[in-house]
Amino acid sequence: MKKSRAPKLGIGLLVLGYAFALYWVFTRSTPVVSSRPITIRIAHWQIEKGPPDGIDAIIKRYEELNPRVKVEQVLVPESVYRQWVRSNLTGGTGSDLIEYGVWLDGLTDIPARYFEPITDEMMRPNPYNRGTKLEHVAWVNTFTDGLALQRLNAPDPGQFYAVTLTELSERLFCNRDLLRTITGSDRTPHTFAELRVLFRQVAAYAARTGRPVHAMAGARDNASWLMQFLLQGAMMESSQRNDRYGVLAVYAWDELGLYLDGRWSYRSPEARAGLTLMREVSLSMKPGFVQSTRDAATQEFLRGDAVFIFAGTWDGTSIRSQATFPIDVLRFPQPTKDDPVMGPYFYGRFADGGGGTAMEFYLNKQSPHPKEAIDFMHFMTSVEGNQLFTDHSGWLPSVREVRVPPSIAAYLTPLDCYTFGAEYMTLGSSVNSAVLRNFYLLAGSQGSVDQFVDAMEAEMPEAVRTDLRKEVSNRAIIVRPQDVAIMAKAALSRRAPQDASLLLARERLESSQTQSEALMLQMGRQLERAGPAK
Amino acid sequence: MLCPLLAAGAASSADLNEAWLAIANSHPKDALRKLDESDPARAVQLARAVALMAQQSATDDNVRAAEKIFVELATGNDEPADEAAYLQARLYQLHYVQPDYAKAAELYQALAQRHPRSHWAQLGLVKLALLKLYVVPDTTAAGSDRLAPAEALLAQISDPLLQRDLNLQIGQAGVALKQPLARFLPHLVAADRVGGITATAREDLIVQIGVLSMRAGDWAQAKKYFERYLVEFPNNVRAYDVKLNLDDAIRHLAKRAGS
Repeated sequence: MKKSRAPKLGIGLLVLGYAFALYWVFTRSTPVVSSRPITIRIAHWQIEKGPPDGIDAIIKRYEELNPRVKVEQVLVPESVYRQWVRSNLTGGTGSDLIEYGVWLDGLTDIPARYFEPITDEMMRPNPYNRGTKLEHVAWVNTFTDGLALQRLNAPDPGQFYAVTLTELSERLFCNRDLLRTITGSDRTPHTFAELRVLFRQVAAYAARTGRPVHAMAGARDNASWLMQFLLQGAMMESSQRNDRYGVLAVYAWDELGLYLDGRWSYRSPEARAGLTLMREVSLSMKPGFVQSTRDAATQEFLRGDAVFIFAGTWDGTSIRSQATFPIDVLRFPQPTKDDPVMGPYFYGRFADGGGGTAMEFYLNKQSPHPKEAIDFMHFMTSVEGNQLFTDHSGWLPSVREVRVPPSIAAYLTPLDCYTFGAEYMTLGSSVNSAVLRNFYLLAGSQGSVDQFVDAMEAEMPEAVRTDLRKEVSNRAIIVRPQDVAIMAKAALSRRAPQDASLLLARERLESSQTQSEALMLQMGRQLERAGPAK
Repeated sequence: MLCPLLAAGAASSADLNEAWLAIANSHPKDALRKLDESDPARAVQLARAVALMAQQSATDDNVRAAEKIFVELATGNDEPADEAAYLQARLYQLHYVQPDYAKAAELYQALAQRHPRSHWAQLGLVKLALLKLYVVPDTTAAGSDRLAPAEALLAQISDPLLQRDLNLQIGQAGVALKQPLARFLPHLVAADRVGGITATAREDLIVQIGVLSMRAGDWAQAKKYFERYLVEFPNNVRAYDVKLNLDDAIRHLAKRAGS
């Protein structure tokens, strides 16, 4: 009797389980078919604590206002983001809105190939700002920085491509308890000279107590951000001198050309000064930090093994929500005019983050719902939408008139510093790769400025040429199809003369094409004059 | 009159409109499907040739197929002729795998001589000027006036927007080619006066005229442009540096007034 009951029991359980699964799928899980006719997707790599919640809050409110549209947030780990973006865009399966950054290695052709300019929309007010102070302000001017950084990096200088969600800066996060334990005070350093004193105090404390604590949490990412910051500051006078166009900025393509003209190099005394400061800081990090990523530095700081961590405010929410100790947020203490290393090249306070906005979202040319995608871009960068982002992410807003919560007021960068935009590391993917590859030569007890400089100067001639050629070819990707677009707009405008927007679009395209083409020819000339790398 | 054309498979006006819309939306294959290869109408042939240019992958074969049509159309005396002639030049400048700037320059020149008032001829003069500035200069002798050939072409352009765009580029070329500041700064000011430049280029131009005016010792002009920048872009990251430059310009003006 017992033998015949067991199979029946098993079958019964199987049937029960199947029935339960059916019930769950059809009543509790996400619908297989959305009840909303349009779905748009927004993809990004900012899966650290903060932004996903911010975007979720935007989506929730947007869907309330737009019942026809469903918005899906696609979170892609940073480690695979580049491959994910390229393979999806090539395969025609990319999200409607895609986060992109010019520093993403190996993707410099992506904007030109796959992203649609939104210049016309940028010249008009954001409809979601109705009833606010920004109601009649052109969309571009509603951003706290006027989209300055995005403009610097736009593939086509006459066009706008992206909206931004946040203002970024870089800050020193300080473990107040640990600082007090080591120094007897919670006074944070105000100058680089005071920071040097602190480095010595921490080293002495570690030696005395045997506790493995360092002044700065170390990882390749954090160290490279800091190096970029220090180099920019050290090279400020050089950047000003090399600003031949007089635009108070130096674009990456121009910096590459200036290198070929011999107007700067890592051998210059000011570059060496910046690298020397970086080496000083690297000696206050744990040995072997170059092998670690930023998560390791964050963990080191949260464990209480480092007094400071230099991080972008993009890590602020993660760090502050997980810390078990009070954290002070301060601007990195800069060298002064009498600094023994940087004093001779001191130009003035330089931007720690530049006050520029970031977390750039671009419109995929292949989006099946461009109108809805742009509408979502409008909402997320409206006063209401961006306020939701800030309140739920703990990140700064990118839009004016959005209230900044007191808890993150320290992230704001006042307009009290030089921002030249001149990057001496992320000029292009080849130069950036060379810097990161050789970084270990600068850092740690075995490293030196000379070793790093020698290695870089050996690689730079070829790396710069490669990156400048990429700049030319990226612009060609944009410029070539513009001939077709211009003809099409001209033909359509003739057939519909009452539609003034077609004529305006053609005129603007002709103008921006001429600008890009001229740039291509200039860069081509530069490459030709420089000849092959020796 | 219409019936024989329709019987011959001629594209209707609606078809042509749809074809151009398809081209504008980056769907050249759709456009080619709507347009009959044997349709003799010049407007249709032009649309076909542009669709061929737009095809991916961009190969010299596609470009040559387009050029064949352009060459035939360019012999006419109407707008399609001018568009075709202009586009033929563009193929040599940009679309063939190996550009031939000298050939492109020759074609732009020929179009301008045939129909100097045509928009396409004038746009071609802008492109020709860029070629003369950077890749097929009239002379590269040391100390030569590298801007003069482009300025000569500028004088042939009557469209104010095209004049603006060429003025802007002569200004930028003045920097790149290390010409005297006094030669090229007026071109930048002239470009600004027309207005309508968009995006980065506009903001850059305002700062640029201010800074270059300082370098030229024209403090009044510098002040005017820096003040304008701070009104239009008060929160942009360059505002700090612009303010310092403005203070400098004001100091110089005060000193001059006092002396």
